[in-house]
Amino acid sequence: MKLKYIPVFAEDADAQISFYTQKLGFNPISNMFFAEGEEYTVLKADNLDVALVVGGNAFKSCIILNTDDCLKDYHLYKTAGVFFSTVPRYLPTGLAAEFLDPSGNRFILLEERNYTEI
Amino acid sequence: MMDYSKTLRNNNKIYSRSSSQKQNQQYSSDFSLRFVFAGNERYDIGKRHLSIYPDSFLILNRGTQYSTDTDSDIPVQSFSISFDQQFLKDFKDCWTTADSRLVGRGGYKVKQLQEFDETIYPFTGDIRHNVYHLKHYLDNGMHDELLINEYLHHCLINYFSIYNEEIFKKAEKLHFLNPSTKIEILRRLNLAKEYLYSNYNQNISLEDLAEHSCLSVNHLLRTFKQAFNLTPHQFLIQLRLKRAQLLLKSTAYPINEVVNLIGFECPSSFIRLFKTHYKITPLKYRQTA
Repeated sequence: MKLKYIPVFAEDADAQISFYTQKLGFNPISNMFFAEGEEYTVLKADNLDVALVVGGNAFKSCIILNTDDCLKDYHLYKTAGVFFSTVPRYLPTGLAAEFLDPSGNRFILLEERNYTEI
Repeated sequence: MMDYSKTLRNNNKIYSRSSSQKQNQQYSSDFSLRFVFAGNERYDIGKRHLSIYPDSFLILNRGTQYSTDTDSDIPVQSFSISFDQQFLKDFKDCWTTADSRLVGRGGYKVKQLQEFDETIYPFTGDIRHNVYHLKHYLDNGMHDELLINEYLHHCLINYFSIYNEEIFKKAEKLHFLNPSTKIEILRRLNLAKEYLYSNYNQNISLEDLAEHSCLSVNHLLRTFKQAFNLTPHQFLIQLRLKRAQLLLKSTAYPINEVVNLIGFECPSSFIRLFKTHYKITPLKYRQTA
C-alpha cells in the first residue's frame, strides 16, 4: 500500500490551485475522479512523493511539509507572498513555521532535527 | 575548501577560512561567535589559551584582544560570525520583550547583560544545525542578505538560550544564597571547564585546575559537581570519549593514535571505557559512522 493523494479543502478551487502553483511551487498534472461525481485536480511538487488534490468534498486538512532547511524555505515562501501565522519556532522535533492556505488548510513547514548526535 | 569574508549591509560579518597558518597578529573583536569545522584553533586572550574543536564554540565580546594559532596537524577550517552592535541591540530589545521564557530564572535579565561570559560553549543542538545550514548556503555562493540575516538572527536566539542553559540554570544549581555569588562561582567554574576543553589531552592535576579557576581544590570539586552533575574527572573522560568519536568518524588515524591524541595512556582502558559508555567498540563505531 502507498499514500499518494492528500485531499485538501477548497472554498474556491481556482484560487486554491493558483496559490499552490504560484506560491508553493506545485504543478497541476491531471484531473481525476476519486469518488463518484467528485473530480479533483492533482498537484505535484518535484521533490514530493505525495500529491495534493483539490476539489470534490474534502475536509479541512493539516499538511506537514518536510524541509531540510526550514529557515531557507520559510524565507523563500515568504518572498513568494505566503503569509505565515507563526515565525519558525523550536520544538523538541526540530524547527517549524506555520501558514494557512486561502481556504484555511493549515500547513506546517517542518525541519526535523536529530539532536542525539554529538 | 572555500575561503571568504562577507560584510553585510548592516555590518554583520562572516568569515570562513581554511588554513593552518600561525597568525601572530593581535586582533580586537566585535561581539562574535567562533567555530571550527575541522582541526582546532587556539585563541590566546591575555593569559588564557582557549582551544576550540568541532564540538565547541567560543564567544568573544566586543573589544577583546586576541591572537590565534593551532595545535593540530589537521588543517583548520574556521568559521566566525561578528555581529554589529545595533543588530545585537535590536535583537536583545525584541527578544527579551517578546519571550518571557528567555528571561533567566532568579531575576537575571539577559537584556541587562552588557558582556557575556567569554568562554567555550558546547556546539550542539539548534545552533549547530543553523550554523551548518548557513555555511552550506554561503559555500554554495548564495548571498540573499535577508536570508543570511534570518540565519544570524536565529544563531542569536540559539546562543541566548544556550547562555540561559549554561550560565543561569547552572548558576541556579549552586548552593549559595546570593545570586551574584552564584554567578561569580559559575564564572570561575567555567574557567575550569574551558581549561578542560582546551587541554583535554594533557595530564591535568586538580591543583592546576583549581589554580586556573581561582578556587581551592575542595571548593572546586564541590561546586563543579553541583553545577554540572559530574566531577571534573568524569567531565574530562566524557569529553575525551566524545572527541575520540569525532576522530574515529572524521579521520583515518589508527585506534592507537586516537588513544594518544585524546590523552589516554592505555588503549585497552580506552576501549573498555568507550564500550561501557557507547555500548559499541571503537572499531565498530568507526565502521558504522
